[in-house]
Amino acid sequence: MKNTVLLTIDALRRDSFGCYGNERTLTPFMDSLQEQSLGFGRAYSTGPYTQASFPGILTSTYYLEYGKQKNLPTEKTLISEVLKKNKFHTAGFHSNPYLSAYFGYNRGWDVFYDSMEDDVTDLYPFIRGDAIVQKVEDWLSGYMSKNTGTPFFLWVHFMDVHEPYIPEEEYLKTVDESVTLSKEEMFVMFKDVLLKRDTSNPDTLGLLKKLYDAKVLEVDEYVRRLFGILEDVLNETTVIFGSDHGDEFGEHGGLSHDGKMYSELVRVPLFIYERGRAEGEVYEPPISNIDISPTIAHLFEIREVDGFKGSSLLPIDEYQARSCFGEATNKRGHKEKEEDRPIYYCLKNERKIILDEGTGTWELYHLKDDPGEKKNLIDEDEHADILKDELQTWIKNR
Amino acid sequence: MIDDKRIEELKGKIEKSKEIFGQAFERFKPEETRLIWSGGKDSTLTLWISRQYCQEKGIDLPKAFTIDEGDAFEEIDDFLHRYSKEWHVSLDWGRNDDVLKAAGNKLNAEVKVSDLSERNQAEIKRIGFELERFPFEAESYVGNHLMKTVVFNKYIEDNDVKAVFQGLRWDEQPARKNDPYVEEVAAAYLVLAHTRYRPILHFTERDIWDTTLHFDIPYCPLYRQGYRSLGAKTTSLKMSDQPAWEQDLENTVERAGRRQDKEKTMDRLRKLGYM
Repeated sequence: MKNTVLLTIDALRRDSFGCYGNERTLTPFMDSLQEQSLGFGRAYSTGPYTQASFPGILTSTYYLEYGKQKNLPTEKTLISEVLKKNKFHTAGFHSNPYLSAYFGYNRGWDVFYDSMEDDVTDLYPFIRGDAIVQKVEDWLSGYMSKNTGTPFFLWVHFMDVHEPYIPEEEYLKTVDESVTLSKEEMFVMFKDVLLKRDTSNPDTLGLLKKLYDAKVLEVDEYVRRLFGILEDVLNETTVIFGSDHGDEFGEHGGLSHDGKMYSELVRVPLFIYERGRAEGEVYEPPISNIDISPTIAHLFEIREVDGFKGSSLLPIDEYQARSCFGEATNKRGHKEKEEDRPIYYCLKNERKIILDEGTGTWELYHLKDDPGEKKNLIDEDEHADILKDELQTWIKNR
Repeated sequence: MIDDKRIEELKGKIEKSKEIFGQAFERFKPEETRLIWSGGKDSTLTLWISRQYCQEKGIDLPKAFTIDEGDAFEEIDDFLHRYSKEWHVSLDWGRNDDVLKAAGNKLNAEVKVSDLSERNQAEIKRIGFELERFPFEAESYVGNHLMKTVVFNKYIEDNDVKAVFQGLRWDEQPARKNDPYVEEVAAAYLVLAHTRYRPILHFTERDIWDTTLHFDIPYCPLYRQGYRSLGAKTTSLKMSDQPAWEQDLENTVERAGRRQDKEKTMDRLRKLGYM
């Protein structure tokens, strides 16, 4: 049996990738992994921000099952808990406060680092990728020296692409040499533009996007370093790579990642890297991050896990394509408020339907003809009623 | 019930703990040391082993020290009173009266930093908080520091304590995994140099319960009600109605019922723009 690594990157847009058509070469290392990966052409997150999406990734459940709770509900089972119970070694390293021990994500780990004890600054309010890689290296060398032969499950999550977008000069230069903002000026943009969701000036949005792109380039370097650390075990390891959600740059009138269900937020990168095995194959039908934990369970030869809503992506020939779902609250701005109402989506083949319970609005988009999701076809599409039914049935029975 | 092999294994673990006490008493006189006794299962076992060791070697039992965070379970207080008497342990109680007074002895009351003593104000600054007021909660970050760490440091200073015994365990939480048996704490601003001994690091939660039940070591009745880990009263949660030792100790988190570092997490979220 092999080890499994789950590598997730916060707020990483799918269209940042060269292998998905981005021509600015922001992800040279991750692109180079594609040849030995099973790729997923259309992967979807279960929600547009961390609290809504990570239950999908690590517990294979949807956000609002069991109601909206501050902590991860105890009814949900983390993949780490499943594996620890089956005597595998589990280690997690990240710096996202929403995934910290305080919110209940520390369950089931033999080693769990959430960085909340460490000091951070306003400009870099999270422990950065290079330091996370160092933690992984320390853990791995200890683990290897004990040489117990027990396969491990390692989860690493990088926060580096998350705002505030304050890239190092070398990366910013590569993206656009003409941008000469100081870090303090970038921080002002974070406070005055991004946090205020001010999309009035297209030039400012373009600039913000460049800063974001430079952060993508930076995180690609951390992924390269992580693979360097893992080099000795890579022949015995499957790496699942994903993202919890994307980020918006004015596509639907906003910034960052609020409670919306459009592609810039819920369409995510996903691939499974196995050295020497996969041959650059790409699976095209829609799949969901809800399938990640069942895939990990499958890799550890655990058959059924009570409460998991997804199914294993491996072996891919046996995967049965079906609709993808997601839920969140329709919050605007970063804070979830009492009055926020649920928002849901259902994606079936080429159509996506969205229900915002707060406003009672339905939207339907044809993703092939209208990938930017600008033209709401809810009143014209002949499939609208079927999709409404499917989403409402799911809301009732999920 | 546990079998003979298991009993031998536990005895081996107890002997290992006695070695750590032995190392400590080679360097320090009993009166220079304190045993930190919260009334929880781990520190009670530590105390029980230290009594055995001191009786065997014919040396004085160190004093014990307990910290009242202002939000304690009555059951824990009763337990400490009862067994300090029965076991003839001299027990000192420490409390941050200044903070309690500023909070009017009420949980969640807003404490104005300017109402606090200079020392407490300096302590808040020392851990990086520029606050004007904070809610009085023993297990929040600031609260924990003022109600426990500061009380501890001051006690060490006032009583000229050179070494302490702590009932910490490696498997208590992942952050403890690399803790050493002996740690030298260097002197720093508001902290006096001292040595920390952790004689029961190698005990797992299961070991604690097997030892406690097999050797009839007393424990606080709250564990029988389902508490796994006891902290402040309002922030410790019962994990189930089963006694702690009948729960699935190996596969669930011992401290899930405790609140940790709320403010630090909130501060991070604020910096990321989430508040």
